Amino acid sequence: MTVLETCEESNATTTDKTADSQVLHWIHQAAHFLPSQGPIEVFVHHNTLHAFETESFHDAVRAGHDRYGAEPYLSEPEYRRLCAAGRITDDELECVIVRDLGESCNNAISELGTRFDIRFAMLRHAIYVGPDAELRWIIAETDTLERFRETTTAINRGRTISASKKWLRNCKQNPHPVRNVESLLNKFRANPDKWSDLEWESFSLHLLWRVCLGGVGAFRGKARQRQFVRPRDLLLHATGEDTDRYVHDMLIRFCAAYVDQGYSDWILPNRDQGFFESFLALFSDATPGTASWLRGLHDELSTLRAGNVSAASSIEASLSELGIAEGDREEFITQSLLSLRGWAGMIWQLESGVDWVVHSIPTGSLVGMLAIQLILEKCAIRHVGAQVFEEYSSVQSILQLAGDRVHDPKPLTVERSAFLLFQVAQMLGWTPLELARLTELEWQKLSQEVESFPSLERRRIFHEAYERGYRHAALDAFATHAERLKAIQPAWGSGRPAFQIATCIDDREESFRRHLEEVQPACETFAAAGFFAVAMYYRGAADGFYKPLCPAVITPDHYVQEDVGYSFEGIHRDRAALRRTLGLASRAFHTRSRTFLGGMLAGSVGSLASVPLVARVLFPRLTARIRQRLGSFLQPPPVTNLQLERYAEAPGPTNGHIGYTTDEMARVVVRMLEDMGLKNTNSFSRLFIICGHGSSSLNNPHESAYCCGACAGKRGGPNARAFAQMANDWRVRGKVAAHGIKIPDDTVFVGAYHNTCDDSVVFFDLDRLPPSHRAEFESARESIEEARRRNAHERCRRFSSAPLNISQDDALRHVEARAQDISQARPEYNHATNALCVVGRRHWQRGLFLDRRAFLNSYDPSQDDDEHSILARILAAAIPVCAGISLEYYFSCVDYRTYGSGSKLPHNLVSLLGVMEGTSSDLRTGLYQQMVEIHEPMRIMFVIESTPAAMLSIMERNAAIARLVRGGWVHLAVIDSTTSEIQVFQDDRFQPYHVGSTAITFASSSLECYQGSREHLPFFSIKEQLGPFDQ
Amino acid sequence: MNTHSVIPVLGLLVVASPAVLLAVLGLPLLVGFRLSEQWQSRLTKASVLTGLLAATGILATMLISGSRQEVVELGHWVAIEHEHEHFHFHINFVFDRLSVPFLMLTFVLCGTVGAFAEVYLHRDAGYHRFFLLYALFLLGMVVSALAGTIETLFFGWELVGLSSALLVAYFHQRPGPVRNGHRVWTTYRIADAAFLIAALTMHHLTGAGEFQKLMGSGAWPEGVANIGFWQASLVGFLLLIAAAGKSGMVPFSGWLPRAMEGPTPSSAVFYGALSVHLGTYLLLRVSPLLDVSMPLRIAVIGLGLTSAVFGALASRVQSDVKNALAFASLTQVGIITVEIGLGLHYIALVHMIGHVCLRTLQLLRAPSVLRDHQMLENAVGEHLTGDEVATSRSSSPGQLWLYRFALQRGNLDELLDDWIVHPFTKSFRFFDSLERRWTNLLSGGNSRTSDTLSPYGDSLEDVH
Repeated sequence: MTVLETCEESNATTTDKTADSQVLHWIHQAAHFLPSQGPIEVFVHHNTLHAFETESFHDAVRAGHDRYGAEPYLSEPEYRRLCAAGRITDDELECVIVRDLGESCNNAISELGTRFDIRFAMLRHAIYVGPDAELRWIIAETDTLERFRETTTAINRGRTISASKKWLRNCKQNPHPVRNVESLLNKFRANPDKWSDLEWESFSLHLLWRVCLGGVGAFRGKARQRQFVRPRDLLLHATGEDTDRYVHDMLIRFCAAYVDQGYSDWILPNRDQGFFESFLALFSDATPGTASWLRGLHDELSTLRAGNVSAASSIEASLSELGIAEGDREEFITQSLLSLRGWAGMIWQLESGVDWVVHSIPTGSLVGMLAIQLILEKCAIRHVGAQVFEEYSSVQSILQLAGDRVHDPKPLTVERSAFLLFQVAQMLGWTPLELARLTELEWQKLSQEVESFPSLERRRIFHEAYERGYRHAALDAFATHAERLKAIQPAWGSGRPAFQIATCIDDREESFRRHLEEVQPACETFAAAGFFAVAMYYRGAADGFYKPLCPAVITPDHYVQEDVGYSFEGIHRDRAALRRTLGLASRAFHTRSRTFLGGMLAGSVGSLASVPLVARVLFPRLTARIRQRLGSFLQPPPVTNLQLERYAEAPGPTNGHIGYTTDEMARVVVRMLEDMGLKNTNSFSRLFIICGHGSSSLNNPHESAYCCGACAGKRGGPNARAFAQMANDWRVRGKVAAHGIKIPDDTVFVGAYHNTCDDSVVFFDLDRLPPSHRAEFESARESIEEARRRNAHERCRRFSSAPLNISQDDALRHVEARAQDISQARPEYNHATNALCVVGRRHWQRGLFLDRRAFLNSYDPSQDDDEHSILARILAAAIPVCAGISLEYYFSCVDYRTYGSGSKLPHNLVSLLGVMEGTSSDLRTGLYQQMVEIHEPMRIMFVIESTPAAMLSIMERNAAIARLVRGGWVHLAVIDSTTSEIQVFQDDRFQPYHVGSTAITFASSSLECYQGSREHLPFFSIKEQLGPFDQ
Repeated sequence: MNTHSVIPVLGLLVVASPAVLLAVLGLPLLVGFRLSEQWQSRLTKASVLTGLLAATGILATMLISGSRQEVVELGHWVAIEHEHEHFHFHINFVFDRLSVPFLMLTFVLCGTVGAFAEVYLHRDAGYHRFFLLYALFLLGMVVSALAGTIETLFFGWELVGLSSALLVAYFHQRPGPVRNGHRVWTTYRIADAAFLIAALTMHHLTGAGEFQKLMGSGAWPEGVANIGFWQASLVGFLLLIAAAGKSGMVPFSGWLPRAMEGPTPSSAVFYGALSVHLGTYLLLRVSPLLDVSMPLRIAVIGLGLTSAVFGALASRVQSDVKNALAFASLTQVGIITVEIGLGLHYIALVHMIGHVCLRTLQLLRAPSVLRDHQMLENAVGEHLTGDEVATSRSSSPGQLWLYRFALQRGNLDELLDDWIVHPFTKSFRFFDSLERRWTNLLSGGNSRTSDTLSPYGDSLEDVH
């Protein structure tokens, strides 16, 4: 007997196990659809639709629309506005339709017009299709049946009216071609001969409508059947009660406490045991005063707890209780998790990917979260059932009642199709007479043709045309400008440039470089990913911890620390101690001010807070200066060194293991110089500045998103400084020379840091600059000073709070104040408007005005090997990173509510790792509205100085690049700088691009290009200048 | 020029500046004209500055002349005398040691937050609406602060309530803010009902709504209430309910976190700071009543203490900045109420002003918390919340209870739902069912076609 029992039991457990693993599998599948943004401290731009990256772009946005209910493109009215503004031209629309339809473009539909005509008309004129109620209203209450649409041409009006007249004459001879013709005629005065023009117009339209209605009605359109996978949706449609409201309110609060990184004073009890366990422990006791909808909760939880039921088994039980059909379960789990996708995604990230947070969470948390969500959902359903149906028994019977109550009103399928045709008929001048002759089959064909071009398809065509316009303008500009520059020698002739500077590839550095080249034509600029091949954990003199400074995909091996000069060691120690004391005091003040007694004390001296309050809001720049002045007594002493060299074998964070060996340094330097195409001794100038970048702003939880993407959302100054120090080392240079790159002895590298928000530039380790190079440096610094002022001025044109006629000095002050203003929701526009990425030598693109919209990456194909290994490694980083930025901007821009994080205004920092909207909402991922408001959502175009063969071979070798390019997530073009010929990657192959227009506007300076405009600007070719400062 | 001629002018200026602002911002919108952002902000600045300067002028005049109380009369609006029945409706504004500091605080904070919002809400679709509601709020605060009669106070009080609820629902595209704004509004209604009854009772007792009649003629805080124990207790308790509702004290605390739905600046100054102190301001205004009625005093202290403890507990478990600060505000409001109960008027006033300033700054800087946290960790050189990844501490049932209590915010919303909302809706549903029975009878069948309509009848999407 006993044996038998055990046997049964084990059987039961195995089935349980398989059921459990099935549930776990579904959850893991669903987790792919969750946002993959980690804690906000490190903001990595990535493709919002990464889950659909294996599909093509257009399929993926459609899948995103189905899955998340998000907008795939801009709205139709927005595209129409762009058409009206001339941003999308008819030519482009035509080209895109022709390309899209291919051969079938000229197929005539029932001799009324070609497919092209119909589609083009539907794009040119707004089509109104709304929900049934709106349709009913439009027909019954507006003058749709009285007057032609405004855009109907006079010819088409005349045609329709005369056809109607003819029809009426025929009608007398041959009665009843249209049903209910009497009822139609009854609407008008008896004698048609006396009808005014307006009456004829109205009659024609009424007739047209009835003909369409009759024609479409002859064959029945299919009605859509609504299916609810989640009981919540069923209840919402049946009763208007949203069970998610109850569930989410509770779940959000608990999730926030569960993942909290140290904001709240009390830590969630039993947090380390997991989501499910901790929730069970907290809520399985009965509490008087519990919300009425939760009254059955503690019984259920204590039963689960007593039975030691796992989260997965609990999900299994909930699925059965909710009556989810076997086939729907995976979809149900996905939809359930997606209903609170921000929190679910964060929990998934914390348990599966992000390992650097202070308080990590155990694996299995997402499963626990879903289990709890379903338990709460059952409670909420029971509660709603009790309230609405007064049904207290089981969830199933409540859902049964709700299902009975949902009765969709008869959908107006026929009317909808007819109305669509009615509108198209007016645009194309199809007369009632012509239409009345159609057979049933022809009607079906016609209707299908019109229906097969719904809003989503129209928007896709609009979008293609929208991108095409910009893309072709850009390619024309590149080809023309490169052709023009061929004849022009660099300003330094055969000598050496005045100085050289390398910045990050960031689009915000485009204008900085351009201005610098205008200020000092004899300078040469380069760009490489802003960590400058120095992937390291870095700790500044005033930092508490090592933080990675390299792209997020790389895990650095090396540690670098900033040390204070030996003679300042004492001061440093005192200041560190003072900082610590003040830090602890400040921490105590901040947290205690929220408590009972501490708050009392804080409150009684709180009046003093009015001083910083008023000062910081009204005088941000002045306050910042005062704070800086006071803060300088706390900061580490000015003279610091990087502890960069390691002698021990293994790298590590402890003393002796910090830094790089000279061999490793040489590898870093070689890699960087190769990437920039600097292999010849005579291509180096005497001064080489390496400029990292970052951004500082106040009151901005998304600050990391503004910093250097190649430094994991941090500031890239230390990388530039480390690189300069490495490249200056004689031993390193020796080893670099062994790789074939001989850096001239008189070349000095200087590290710098550009703050893209306030446009300041600081230099590192100037004390080590040899006096022989002072003059070069001073002159370079002067040029950089001027360039940053001009850069600030160019940036100000985008800020509507800065007047268009602002002076350069005021512009600089304006951007400085922006960076220090706690009330500023847009300290800078970050990567907004990015649209291009150029990889190639500067000499054929220099002086092309790209309006801060292009990532620029240096690359010299003449220095590359046959394997294109340098290009391959540059693109391995550049394409995914730039595509990630571009796509994140794209999606947050087309739907900032679903893909982005909504408006910044009500953002509320939660658990120190994300933001909610307002008091309690899903964790919001993506970019916020204020960040993307000036963005043009387009896929990025890469213009690479290379050959089709090289690119195809790189795509062969790199799956990520191939996926992005072949899937149409990015556009790709290659340019040959000697012939200025361009080939674009289209339809899975490279095709020659025929330059459309070689007319490019010339400008004498960047200022002339942008002055007086806040809009997106066309491309300009800036004339070369003779020398510095002679504009 | 003596003080008697200066003060009425300045006093009028103080009240008129926000009223004019409201009119100038609101009337063009009515006729469909939209002022530019720049003009709105200029007007707002001018109005706040005028008000502040006038208030400073009054303060200076009063200091120089040594006057402790100045009353600006706006006349009797209604005066009915009929044998034993008489009713006065009468508007006047009182400038004294209580109202002048509060008034100046209002102007300074509203001015600062106005400057903040001007930049913060730049280009937002609701910019006009925000500043209109801001003007409404400012007018309400000024009127409430200066009110010399209970009707005037009620008027200002209502303006504050209305603008607060609408600002909570500022993001009306999302259901959450609208629902929460609605909740704030209904909670305010309960407080308002108590207030209105108190006003009527006062009229009934003293024939007029002047606080002076109620509190005696002494300047604040030295007034001596010249009504009896029972009257004082009755009016006092009603006003206490009103104050509790407005200040989000127990059991009305549920609205306070919900008010954090609006844009950061409005959350900061309105619910986090000014509006939430209006209740305590009312208590300060009528504090002489406490001297007459011991039970009232005990109730005030009890309510304050409960709210303070509750706020302190709830604040400790909030993981998000704004809710934590909202409950922290509640704690201090509770303590201020206790101070009022103990008769420490000046301490309460100083505490109130200090707390308002501090909390506004903290709320405006709420988005900086992450950066501050990192900065402090760098300064201290260690993780502030401990480096341990997992805390394996077992918690006693008592700790669990306390945590649950705080996380669920004391279930105060549910308490209100069960004891006020549900009885209310239930009785109305009962009447509704009676009516339905009658109409069904008369129409001989189902009389309400709306019952069969589905709440989400049509699909709103056109995309297939």
